[in-house]
Amino acid sequence: MGAKLSGVVQGTLDMLILKTLALQAMHGYGIGLRIEQISRGVFQVNAGSLFPAFRRLEREGLIEGDWRATEHNRRAKYYELTVEGRKKLKAETREWRTQIAAIARILEATSGEL
Amino acid sequence: MIGVIKSLGNGVRALFRKQEAERELDDELRDYLERAAEQNKRAGMSREEAFRKARLEMGSMEGLKLEVREAGWESTLESFLQDVRFGARMLRKNPSFTCVAVLALALGIGANTAMFSVIEAVLLRPLPYSDADKIVRVASTWDRNGTVTSYTASPPDFFDWRDQNRTFSSMFSYTTTEFALTGQGEAKRVRAVMATAEIFPTLQAEPMLGRGFVAEENHQGANHVVVLSHSLWQSAFAGAPDAIGKTIQLDSEPYTIIGVMPATFRFPLTGSDALLPFGWDDKVMTQRGAHYLSVLGRLKSGVTVAQANADLSAIMEQLRKLYPDKDEKWGVRAQLWSAAMVSEIRPALLVLLGAVGLVTLIACANISNLLLARATVRHRELAMRRALGAGRARLVRQMLTEGLLLALLAGSASLLLAHWALLAIVRFGPTDIPRLGSAGLNGAVLPFTMCVSVACAMLFAAIPALRLSALDTAGVVRTSASPGRDAGRWRAALLIGEVALSMMLLAGAGLLLRSFVQLTSLNPGFDSGNVLTMTLSVPDAHYKNSAAVQNYWDETLTRLRALPGVVSVAAVTPLPLSGDSFSSSLQIAGRSVAEKDEPSAELRVASADYFTTMAIPLRKGRAFTEADRLGSARVALISETAARMFFPEGDAIGQKVKFGARGGYEKNEGEIVGVVGDVRHFGVDAPAPASFYLPLAQSGMDAVTIVMRTRGAAAALVQPAHKMAQALDRDALVGEPLLMETLVSDSLGQRRFYTMLLGGFAVLALLLAAVGLYGVISYSVAQRTQEVGIRVALGASGGQVVGMVMRQGLRLAGFGLTIGLALSLLLTSMLKGLLVGVSVTDPATLAITASVLLIVALLATYVPARRAARVDPLVALRFG
Repeated sequence: MGAKLSGVVQGTLDMLILKTLALQAMHGYGIGLRIEQISRGVFQVNAGSLFPAFRRLEREGLIEGDWRATEHNRRAKYYELTVEGRKKLKAETREWRTQIAAIARILEATSGEL
Repeated sequence: MIGVIKSLGNGVRALFRKQEAERELDDELRDYLERAAEQNKRAGMSREEAFRKARLEMGSMEGLKLEVREAGWESTLESFLQDVRFGARMLRKNPSFTCVAVLALALGIGANTAMFSVIEAVLLRPLPYSDADKIVRVASTWDRNGTVTSYTASPPDFFDWRDQNRTFSSMFSYTTTEFALTGQGEAKRVRAVMATAEIFPTLQAEPMLGRGFVAEENHQGANHVVVLSHSLWQSAFAGAPDAIGKTIQLDSEPYTIIGVMPATFRFPLTGSDALLPFGWDDKVMTQRGAHYLSVLGRLKSGVTVAQANADLSAIMEQLRKLYPDKDEKWGVRAQLWSAAMVSEIRPALLVLLGAVGLVTLIACANISNLLLARATVRHRELAMRRALGAGRARLVRQMLTEGLLLALLAGSASLLLAHWALLAIVRFGPTDIPRLGSAGLNGAVLPFTMCVSVACAMLFAAIPALRLSALDTAGVVRTSASPGRDAGRWRAALLIGEVALSMMLLAGAGLLLRSFVQLTSLNPGFDSGNVLTMTLSVPDAHYKNSAAVQNYWDETLTRLRALPGVVSVAAVTPLPLSGDSFSSSLQIAGRSVAEKDEPSAELRVASADYFTTMAIPLRKGRAFTEADRLGSARVALISETAARMFFPEGDAIGQKVKFGARGGYEKNEGEIVGVVGDVRHFGVDAPAPASFYLPLAQSGMDAVTIVMRTRGAAAALVQPAHKMAQALDRDALVGEPLLMETLVSDSLGQRRFYTMLLGGFAVLALLLAAVGLYGVISYSVAQRTQEVGIRVALGASGGQVVGMVMRQGLRLAGFGLTIGLALSLLLTSMLKGLLVGVSVTDPATLAITASVLLIVALLATYVPARRAARVDPLVALRFG
């Protein structure tokens, strides 16, 4: 059973969306699917978390929407990273790595180190 | 930062292109759904099944849209506006609810606003001088068994403080006095300030025309200069700039005008017409025991009041060593002027502000109860909205917005009420509370009212909002169940609180009223009925010696006595309750005491008929007679208290006394010839001081107060007496005639004011509690219609139903009353300083106020109980 992303890891969801879009422009369903696939089903992101996150990231100018025609001749909104979004992703990734490393060190500390 | 600006821009755009944004969101979500269904189909589901699963996974489409919309800040604003619109509609739809709620709340907030306006004007508003928080009052103090009393300072002490301190940038001393402005027709009263030259730098005020006086002009001979107030300049010289250098006659002596103060200058706060230098001679430096100067100083920047006190105390320490005979018992104290001015008034006003806060709380509890009652009607609406996806926070926000709307309506209405209340306060309030007359709704008060309104809204809307939003959604929609016992408990608790707070206020008001009634029944020592008083002073220059002045007094008294309706006429100075007093040290012949240990007592000068005119009883010996004149043996009278204090053996008559170092008397001595009754000179609520009397005919006094006992209403003689006195010497300064009864009543002015205010608040509280009680019982009767119907059908009599309903109401009231009685001890202990002759736990007062509350509670529950008793069982059972 995969973990559902809740509000607590909101920042994490934003980062995952940015990462997904760093590879290529994508529509909403695709983004959710991609996160699920890459995480091998660990993260299942539902629409209720995704769409508010899109709106938020759009507001902050990190992603941009672009309407394209679908095969059914309807329109679909594809999101892509802005320059700021790319910068933000870089910074967040760096920050994340530092934290992960630190947490890992703490968790793996032996009794002597503590 | 850029993000914030972008977000702002996007938000504003979103507000304007809402329709387009909605369409885009629809499209985006449909695209998502289709792709999810596509995915499901690929996994082998049928088309219908695929869509069904996708929809289930996405959850409620409307809920999803709501969440997306709320991701932006603009939605908060939008939903707020929506709430305001909705709230306004709800208030319009329930006009009776709205009226009752707004009125109750407006009364609460209005009383609060009025009281705060008073506090703003009297306690908070800075004094009208630049850097007024640096101005400090310096006073001599006298330590009597640990009780330190402030007194005015003597000139030599003032000079030493002024010249030796290191903490003040400047310091001046002053007294206030009156002059007759003569030589321009009828003599006009001029309120003057005699001051040392440092008054200008200390107050940081300079004349707008000409100059202020300088230190040299403080010496006798150089002192005939005057700085006019703006208003006197306008009235006497029509604002002509060439007034500078001209001469005016004050008490028939010429003074050169050297300056005019700006229109904004007021000193003291009650205002004055002229500033003059003292004109001291060299003898002044020997008068270290003569305390009559008020002293104000301006602190150097960065210096605290405590530092100034330490500095002055060190100087005083030296003075005590240098002048042990004069200064031994004197100390010194510096106090912020703004605080010193209101040190006695502040506690009373703060208690009143607390009381009015309680009234507002009661009003809030009332509205809260009304809202809870209405919530019963609305709980299905709210449950429905929850079921449709409205979050709990959203509903709370909406309820609070409705409360806010109500409170702001009430706040606006309250301004009108507060305006009227302030008109009454300014008109009827006591004159001895500084700046009370300037209280009004101003820029400092309006934000306060606004804050109180908002706080009220949060207070009274919070309970119903939280309760309602916590409702069990499904249960309420399915059944039409009432919100249940829980709401009833809240309503009961609020009501008990209301009754308790009103009881508290009633008890406080009751005690104040009782204390006040007791004070008014006190005997001031004289009969004030039908007595007219009028100050009268004659210019020294007209009367070269005491005999001439005395002839003038004789003539005046005789002429006034001849006026129709006059029973007797006398003269005295200072007049009891006039605010003036004169105390002097005294020596008793045959007792030798060191000068510094000399006792002091109040000294009065009175004409022969004074005691009969004022109906002051003669206890022993004789009063003054017409034979006690210049040249005959010097005599004196003594009050009962003074006789007890100085001659405990009862041998006062025949003793010779001699009075102190200063004063305007020719020879201050005499043999005691009689003992007269005590007079409460300083106020009906203050003890009678030990006093001595000297005969006017032996004093050479040039200023007295005429007292006239009349046959009919004393007011009828105001005009003729004034004219008569003026006719004798047109340069004589005749004061406005005043009724003695007015002085007696004014001496209790502050107490009357506090009693009336607290009484008013208590009545308001009682009213609100009654409305609350009535509302709660009515509501519960309406809810119990069915039950009552069954009871009546089973044979309950009307009386039994009434009893049942009233028992419920009275039980709540009883609870509140008990708690309130306990709480009232808290309030009344704060009132202690205002109570005279009544203990804070006075059982009679508490019993009476408790019964008043009970009677009101009975009435408030009786009306709905009667309604319950008239329930027709058939109707109740069929339609209940």
